[in-house]
This record gives sequence, C-alpha cells and structure tokens, in this order.
Amino acid sequence: MKKKEFYIGYLPEMPEGIAKVVRPFTALLIVLVFVLGIIFLIGQRPFAKSYFEFGNVQDFEGTIQARPIPFLLVVSDEKTEGLPKFERIPLVAEGKDGAEELIRSYDGSRVKLKGTRIYRDSLQMIEVVGGSIVKSGGEGQIAPEKEESLGIHTLNGEIIDSKCYLGVMNPGNQKTHKICAINCLRGGIPALFVVRDKAGNTSELWLLGEDGKPVNEKIFDYVAEPVKMKGEVKRRGAFLYFYSNPDSIERLN
Amino acid sequence: MSESYVGISWNRQKKIYDAIIGVVVLIYLALFIGVGSLLHPTSTIETLLIRGFGTAAILSLHIVLIIGPLCRLSPKFLPLLYNRRHLGVATFFLGLVHGGIATFQFHALGELNPFVSILINNTRFDSVPDFPFQILGLAALIILFLMAVTSHDFWLKNLTAPVWKTLHTLVYIAYGLLIAHVALGVLQAETNPILAVSLGIGMLLVVGLHLTAAFKESKTDTEEPNGKGDYVEVCSVDEIPENRACIATVSGERVAVFKYDGKVSAISNVCQHQNGPLGEGEIIDGCITCPWHGFQYEPETGASPPPFTEKVPTFNVKITGGKVLVDKTPNKAGTRVEPVSIDG
Ligand code: HEM
Ligand code: FES
Repeated sequence: MKKKEFYIGYLPEMPEGIAKVVRPFTALLIVLVFVLGIIFLIGQRPFAKSYFEFGNVQDFEGTIQARPIPFLLVVSDEKTEGLPKFERIPLVAEGKDGAEELIRSYDGSRVKLKGTRIYRDSLQMIEVVGGSIVKSGGEGQIAPEKEESLGIHTLNGEIIDSKCYLGVMNPGNQKTHKICAINCLRGGIPALFVVRDKAGNTSELWLLGEDGKPVNEKIFDYVAEPVKMKGEVKRRGAFLYFYSNPDSIERLN
Repeated sequence: MSESYVGISWNRQKKIYDAIIGVVVLIYLALFIGVGSLLHPTSTIETLLIRGFGTAAILSLHIVLIIGPLCRLSPKFLPLLYNRRHLGVATFFLGLVHGGIATFQFHALGELNPFVSILINNTRFDSVPDFPFQILGLAALIILFLMAVTSHDFWLKNLTAPVWKTLHTLVYIAYGLLIAHVALGVLQAETNPILAVSLGIGMLLVVGLHLTAAFKESKTDTEEPNGKGDYVEVCSVDEIPENRACIATVSGERVAVFKYDGKVSAISNVCQHQNGPLGEGEIIDGCITCPWHGFQYEPETGASPPPFTEKVPTFNVKITGGKVLVDKTPNKAGTRVEPVSIDG
C-alpha cells in the first residue's frame, strides 16, 4: 500500500499529492468569488437618477417661507410673459434634520445662505449649511401661486423622507431604507408620499395632515412599506400636496 | 503548543494563506466598487461600500464554513483548515466595516443613538417583507466579534477547550442570523432572482457538506460492538496502517487506536487544541501528531512531550485473535498504559 501523505502546516512545503488538490481548488474558489461579485453587481436593481452634489457648496439668495414646508423662494431676473420667473426650493438641514430650526427667525425674510443641491427628476432641494443663513436686506418677495384641489383620493404608495429619496442616498427608499427614513422623519425632514403607476412612473406628493401641518410623528410605523391613505390632493405651483388624516393609513402587505 | 501561544507563530504556509486572503479581498473590493460605479453611475459610494464589504463578508463566511466538512471528507483539504481562523478574523473585519458604514449611514446624525435606532425604530417583527433585519446583522456581528477576539490560542487555553469550542460553534447561529439578515433585508427590495438563487445555493452547499461529512463519519466509525466484559472489539490489527490509527466509538467517546513499531496504543480521538481528530493524524518522531495544527502526544501516555502540558485520556488495550479490544472506561488524561505488542 502506498504510504498516505500527511500535511504538516509548519513545514515549508506541502506534500505533492495534497498540493495537487489544494492549489486548483483554491484557484477555483477565487475565480468563483470574483464571478459572484460580478453577478451581485449586475443583479442589483437599477439605481434611480438622483443626485447629491456632496462637497459642492453653493450660494443661494431668496426669501424664506416656513409653510407648509420650509422653502427658499428664488426669483430670477428672467421674465416669462412679463412676469418674473421663480422657483420654490425645499430646504433641509445637515444630517437627519429638517430645516425648521434653522429658518425659525427668518420666515418671510430675504436671505443669503450656503447649501448643497439635491435633485431627482424635476424635484430639487437644498441642504443648508448650518449657520450660513444671513438676512440680505431688502423686502421679502412673494410669488403668487395658484392653488387647485384635485379632489379627495385614496392613494396607494410609499411614505419616505424627502431628503434621502431625492438623492442623498441611493437607494433612498424601500426596505433597506426603512429605518433611515424613520430617523429622518423623526428629525423633521418633510415626508413625501410616492405613488407609482403600473408603468413604473412616479409622482411625489408632500405629505401633510388635514390641517396642513407635518404628521411625521404619527407615521413612523408605516414608512417605506406599501400603504394606502385617504386625503385631498392639491396642486400649488409646481408641487402636489396630499392632505391626509394619518388615521386613514392602511398597510398593503 | 501551550507555550507557543505568546505571539502567533509564523511560518511559510501561514504567510501564503494570509497573502492570498489579503490580495483576493482587495481585488474583490476594488472590482466591486470600481465596476459598480461604472455600471451604476448614480449609485452612492456608501451603497457600494456597504454592499461590497457585506457581500465579501458573506462569501468569506461560506468558505470558512465549507472548509471543515471538506477536510472531514478528504484530508487533502487540510492545508485550508490549518489557518482557517485567519479567514474567520478577516470575515469579522469585513462584516464590521459593512455594519459600521451601514450604522453610520442609516442611523447616525439623527435624534436617536445609532444602536438604539437599530433596535427600536422598526417594530415589524410580525412581518416578513418588513422584518427588522438589521438587528439580525448586529447580533451576528457580536458573535463574530467574540469569536475573533478569542481566536488566539491564549483564549483557548484560558477559557478551556469545551467552553471555547461551544463559543465557536456559535458560528452556526451567526450564519443562520446572516442568512435571515440578507433574505429579510436586501432580498425584500431587490427583484433579480439570481441574488436569492445564489444565497440558496450557498446555503445548500454549507448544509449539504456538513450532512455528507457527518454521514460519512457515522459509516466509517466502527460501531460499538457487543462488549466482552469491559473490553470491546474495535478493529483488526491488520486494518491499521503503520504509524496510523483506526477510529472507533467506545461508550460514546471516540477512540484512536494507533499501530507503530509492532505495538498498539489507544488514546482519545479528541485533540486538546481544537478538538481535531487525532486518529486522522500520524505518528511523527514517535508522537501522535494532530492533522489540524500539529499538536503532539505520546502514544503511551496521551501527554504532549515536555515542555508542553496537554494531556488526553488513554485507554487500556488487548489483542486477541488479531483483533484489538479497548477498555470501555478511559484512564485519566495522561495516564501511562503499556502498549500491547502485536506478536503477543
Ligand atoms: C451592525 C451590524 C449590521 C448592520 C447595521 C447591517 C445593515 C445592513 C443593511 C442596511 C443592509 C442593506 C444595505 C443595502 O444594500 O441597501 C445590509 C445588507 C447586507 N448585510 Fe448587513 N448589517 C450588519 C451586519 C452584517 C454582517 C456582520 C454581515 C456579514 C458578515 C452582513 C452581511 C450583509 C450582506 C451580505 C448584505 C446584502 C448585501 C448588501 O445589501 O449590502 N451584515 N446590512
Ligand atoms: S486541533 Fe489544533 S492541533 Fe489538534
């Protein structure tokens, strides 16, 4: 009988018969690990086209509006049909915090501030650099806005924090984002209600209570899962709002 | 052995092993993050890091777990086992970076302490798609941490082998927690079936190899035959190759019966180091040498040669009609038993 080989780790060379098995097996394992890595990469669901210009702090100037969610009203010199062009850009603070605190003493004032852009599709937002808001003098501007009710609806969708969803994180919604979204809502970041149609198109509505105030505290348990809510949909300016009683929430799974 | 745990002793095989781990991990992460950001330009770097480290950790955990049963199926895989604990420690660090970035990303900079956030924010324990999967990851990480910090032989010595061994079988709990962490976590959001299929195949491999190895051992062990008095017959002398052993179960304990220099001795099959199978070892320089990490024991006494202090129980043996008989009652570890001469 041929003598069986015996592996001794502290000897510099392993016996040939063992090496003949271990070397190709190790090589196979390594190749498999890389192949699996590529499979995991390709297998991920596509990433949303959302952006956070991290590191690119810019200057903004406009008028602070605290309701219904914190905005910066930016009026540009350009005119359309003789009227000044303007846009409302929602504001959030750094980290998992809403901008309420930062803008408290500036509601209606004209200010300069520093911030970082966040955007996804047609929605955008500014992450305000803490302590960067200063009154810039001059009258606070107001921009007239048409408000129309689109009726009472029961909508199926997902509640999510606007900051991550618009680009600070990607993916910024669904299961893996659930707790993060809860933390963001705790911090006062405005909630979005995201509705998806069958073709996968999305529509985002700012979620507020029937009285127009944030309802973040009442919806933690329903964040980032499929839910159904009833309320009035309103269009004001470029935005959709969903005025809903949080008691109307129902889970869909 | 017992004296050598001051400082890890390095040798060529260990260096090669560690170099391979290091290089493969680095290439994997570079590949995942580099190709990932080309393939998915709007993905954030945090997501790529979390996923790169997470998948690297779970892949390496699978390799750690298949090495054991592979070695029980064929000793040709033993070089992989020799330094397995370094792969285990690497798994912990990969999991730690993954968990650390995830904890910062999803739980820090908010109102709650990040760990409180992991524990209390998601209360959907009653739901599969919404289950708080991150708690499972945290629990697994704690187990991997305990294993990593106690992986050194210093701890093996100080915790005693049975406690240490129990602690380290928790790896199977950690594995279960992590399968659930992935299945109830990212797989609830991802849609491509290839991801779930990969996880399923990984699980089948780990469970399947363990079952196969256990089945093989249950067949090759000489079953405890009917006792003649206090002695039981375990195998015939001719079955044992020179300087090797046959393994048998006697009164529920596994015994290794070695043949060498025309003599036969029996000692416990369980190595004091990490319960390696001494009966699969060989007699080298007159000592039974464990196939796993090379601890040595004298066949007559079950004691490691000085200055080492490990001892395993010995068994009285008899040879009748070419058959080896082993006393059912083990002697205290380290008790000298005169070997039985084969020619009677
Ligand atoms: C504090 C501990 C941990 C936390 C907070 C945590 C958190 C997470 C999160 C949030 C995800 C989903 C990320 C995403 O893809 O969007 C995830 C996925 C994953 N985790 Fe963990 N985890 C922890 C520990 C671990 C450990 C110890 C391992 C393995 C050793 C692990 C392995 C994985 C794997 C393989 C995935 C799927 C790939 C991925 O999505 O990143 N996790 N974990
Ligand atoms: S188990 Fe490590 S030397 Fe025996």
